[in-house]
Amino acid sequence: MQTPEKPTQATDKSLEAMRHFSETYAKRTGTYFCADLGVTAVVIEGLAKHKDELGAPLCPCRHYEDKAAEVAAAYWNCPCVPMRERKECHCMLFLTPDNDFAGDQQEISFEQVRTTTSQY
Amino acid sequence: MSAAAQVTDSTFKQEVLESDVPVLVDFWAPWCGPCRMVAPVVDEISEQYVGQVKVVKVNTDENPSVASQYGIRSIPTLMIFKGGQRVDMVVGAVPKTTLASTLEKYL
Repeated sequence: MQTPEKPTQATDKSLEAMRHFSETYAKRTGTYFCADLGVTAVVIEGLAKHKDELGAPLCPCRHYEDKAAEVAAAYWNCPCVPMRERKECHCMLFLTPDNDFAGDQQEISFEQVRTTTSQY
Repeated sequence: MSAAAQVTDSTFKQEVLESDVPVLVDFWAPWCGPCRMVAPVVDEISEQYVGQVKVVKVNTDENPSVASQYGIRSIPTLMIFKGGQRVDMVVGAVPKTTLASTLEKYL
């Protein structure tokens, strides 16, 4: 068994941008964060990391053959097409109120995100 | 991190395809929220079926070959292998009961 490497976090600037986007977008679409805000934190960190590396917040809950090509295609840049068209977020960042996993929060602080993601 | 062993592009054949018992493979990525949610479920399955099922994890960011070979798109994807063949899969953060009942078919 190998010890997995600690995944690197995004820059503070991108994290703050994606955190702010997530709050604003949840409120605008009437969606809520996961009852487990740890899930929310991890996804926001992933979006910010992709923004740093690729210039766009590509969905962190997909595997891609070519991330740069996917960014150019834009389909899975957050908010992705399924979210914009049908409020479907398989990453569980934006959940409709009828979703079993939906909590009652539309806000998460920078510190809350980093408290979670610093554990990994 | 969890109890299940990480396998890589280079160890996948030996650890998964050549296993004598069925293998549950958890394809995950570091900053995927639902992957963090399903990880403890996968660990519980590992403990519940010890000796009957081998449970391993593949980090798709670090092991793109095997992830691409099996057409992984949405993650987490949980795949079941038996006798070197993929026999079933479940996509997303599923409850333990769903995963267990899928797995039971291949024991």
